[in-house]
Amino acid sequence: MKKQLRLGLNAGFTFGIVTIFLFLIGFTGTSGDLLADLFSNKNAAPFFGLTPQMINMIIFLALVGLWAGSYGSRKSKGQTDDPWAPALIGGLTAGLVHGVLVGLLALLVGTLNLNNVPINMYLAAVLPAAIKMFLLGGSPVQGAIFHLILFTLTGFLGGLLSRGVARGSWRVRAEANWKNNWDGFNQKPFIKQVRGNPATRYVVYGVLLVLVFLVPLVAGQYWNYTIGTVCIYVLLGLGLNIVVGLAGLLDLGYVAFFAIGAYTMALLTAPAPQHLMWSFWIALPIGVVLAALTGLLLGAPVLRLRGDYLAIVTLGFGEIIRLLSTSDAMTSFSGGPKGVPSIAGPTIFGKPFNSGADFVYLIFLAAILIIFVTNRLQNSRVGRAWEAMREDETVSRAMGINTLTQKLLAFAIGAAFAGLGGALFASRNQFTGPEDFTFMVSVNVVAVVIVGGMGNIPGVIAGALVLKGLPEVLRELQDYRVMVFGALLVVMMLWRPAGIIPSSRRKMEVGTDAGVTETPKEGSEK
Amino acid sequence: MPSAKSPARRVSTYKIVQAILGILFAGYLLWRLYVVLIGNPEYGPDTWARFIISGIVLGSVYALIAIGYTLVYGILRMINFAHGDIMMLGAFGGYFVFEAFKAIPVPTLADPKMTFLDANPILSVVAAFIVGASVAALGGYFLEKIAYRPLRGAPRLVPLISAIGASIFLENAAQLLFGTQRRDYSNPAILTRGNGWNLAIGGTTVILPYTGVLTVAVSVLLMLGLYLLVMRTRLGRSMRAVAENKQVAALMGIDVDGVISRTFIISGALAGAGGVMWGIHLGIVYYYVGFLPGIKAFTAAVLGGIGSVPGAMLGGLFLGLVESLGPGILGMSYQLADVIAFGILVLVLIFRPTGIIGEVLTEEKV
Repeated sequence: MKKQLRLGLNAGFTFGIVTIFLFLIGFTGTSGDLLADLFSNKNAAPFFGLTPQMINMIIFLALVGLWAGSYGSRKSKGQTDDPWAPALIGGLTAGLVHGVLVGLLALLVGTLNLNNVPINMYLAAVLPAAIKMFLLGGSPVQGAIFHLILFTLTGFLGGLLSRGVARGSWRVRAEANWKNNWDGFNQKPFIKQVRGNPATRYVVYGVLLVLVFLVPLVAGQYWNYTIGTVCIYVLLGLGLNIVVGLAGLLDLGYVAFFAIGAYTMALLTAPAPQHLMWSFWIALPIGVVLAALTGLLLGAPVLRLRGDYLAIVTLGFGEIIRLLSTSDAMTSFSGGPKGVPSIAGPTIFGKPFNSGADFVYLIFLAAILIIFVTNRLQNSRVGRAWEAMREDETVSRAMGINTLTQKLLAFAIGAAFAGLGGALFASRNQFTGPEDFTFMVSVNVVAVVIVGGMGNIPGVIAGALVLKGLPEVLRELQDYRVMVFGALLVVMMLWRPAGIIPSSRRKMEVGTDAGVTETPKEGSEK
Repeated sequence: MPSAKSPARRVSTYKIVQAILGILFAGYLLWRLYVVLIGNPEYGPDTWARFIISGIVLGSVYALIAIGYTLVYGILRMINFAHGDIMMLGAFGGYFVFEAFKAIPVPTLADPKMTFLDANPILSVVAAFIVGASVAALGGYFLEKIAYRPLRGAPRLVPLISAIGASIFLENAAQLLFGTQRRDYSNPAILTRGNGWNLAIGGTTVILPYTGVLTVAVSVLLMLGLYLLVMRTRLGRSMRAVAENKQVAALMGIDVDGVISRTFIISGALAGAGGVMWGIHLGIVYYYVGFLPGIKAFTAAVLGGIGSVPGAMLGGLFLGLVESLGPGILGMSYQLADVIAFGILVLVLIFRPTGIIGEVLTEEKV
């Protein structure tokens, strides 16, 4: 019982702090808008004096409260039985603590607001309107009592639900049943045939490809732009995937190669600083080759360094490129902080190729080419050498792999992909400038690779969709996107270091899947 | 990089190229020094004095932050990428103390608009340092507990990525909490930025700012304190033991996790004090304020040989001086001061990852 109380207190404090933090960054209000979009009840009539946004916020807070309760009612470590009473008490304690903390916050901000203290001068998101919404339009005391009751109730309910539903006996039975059915389904000869047949895969890929190619025709300008961005991030992600995922070299200055591709395209085709105005099709390969060469040049001295030093050196290199491109010293050469405007788009047989949908097809083609190349590389001798090197450099050298050459190759190929992405990016935007090449771009690409699944093509595509596509869909979350990136990186490392879609080899190496290590044991028993 | 050393000492082409490049660079530097100081002097001695003063002040802040990197690296062999952001938390802590004290009116006969901040400058500064350091120490403690401790024993890249994630999270959480605008640090009236002792150098007066003197004095005090802590106390001894070998330290009855926690608290507190100094001396605080000093302090730690505390102090001072003197000596514009700092980082890591000043570490450590 004492243990459960401690668990409940712990959960209450954690969730209390999280809820307070969410309020302070203005997320409680945003959650109201977000749910209003979801339920499309933004313009509904007020209900007992509560606007729809307030009701939505209450729903969101109640969900947080439920989670707190269920977290507080969890079993303590090594506990085998799961009686009702401690679970309920844990949930109730968590809810109570949660409610007291949030209630105190409501009391505090409400009182400060009544006395006209300009809180939002220091805490940017705590606007008077946000406070009013948080207190549901009432006085500070009313608001505090409301939050206390809300979180206590939902905490208790969370404990009840999680003991009764999530850990109840019928749930355990249902799970076993479902698993049986699924196994039975998989054993059916027809299903086995479809699954084992390589033709199935081609059919699925073909259908997907056709669907993907139809999308730009239906999508509007904005969506085509977004799809283009996602695909460019797929390009970048696949390039970095070779460096980080396959060869195991963490590159935090990947944006430098992206910038070199973009600036090459810009300076060769734009009229402004260089008066060259070459064709897109000449500038594109030059950009790719230049990026690859820079990769080689940077890689040659740097690749002797061990993992985290390499990360910092590449970060420094990326920052140097950005600082140079913003400085006055380079203004006459590359436009300086103002960037390079009116970059040419591609033409085919004299016909300009610049509308949104057309360009998306071009980027699609590039992405498919890169996916093909990566796939072939990964399963080649080179790819296997990279993976061996990532796992153990000394052993791979003993197996006859020239590690320095292989590392350079990985670096150069990764850089070439980034150069291609950068050239396409600059040409599509018809503008490029130093703001396009901040450290955050490198981090975004690293996040795409890691969240998706290191060393894995579908993983990278999924990562780009999740990290670059989802925020566009959820526009309200724009402000929180980068912060969530950071949190996601940490959470992925803690819970799933292999990514959303782990590559099969990687899965065995990281060993997140317990079944993999246990398989041989079962075999030996039989 | 574990590599077997060849028994006979052969001179590789890499070493030769390195030596030639080094000689060329040293020659260029000497030539520039000659041009700038004797041949065609662009600045008078007063300007150089100003550069040196600002370099020493910056350097002492870098040194404090660099110690945090070095302590953590020495024990966990990982780069605490979020260390700069811990410094940012400390800077905000001090900022809020000053703002709160400024809001308390203490009217006197002479000056009815007197605030608590101006009336008690010493108390305010001490409170700012204590609060800033405690906030940052708490930040460091929770950072380690949440983002690093569960990853102990994971492959090297995993905690580094987690650290990068934590850094991004902290920066953007601060942006959402405190807004994007740059805030002015409101110092007590005595410590107004730009005030100081006047020194007569080369016919003109050079101001030795009070804030700068305060910064250097506090950082020297803190470094002395740290030195005593590491060398003379039981905790310092266990820290050194854990840095040497975790398993053996645990066998000797040392609570390894506790020592690591405390290391993060100490390095966080130092970074927080550095953040408050940064605010008092340079006067601006915002969510991204920790990024560049963080990277530069890491450079300083590497310069001094990462893992060595005196090395980090010297490296910080050296980097501060290079940053303020470098553009003048090399004849570059001041926009490129950061390029010089990053350039040094890249060059040192490529050519001498064991650091210029510090001892040569074993292969295992580097």
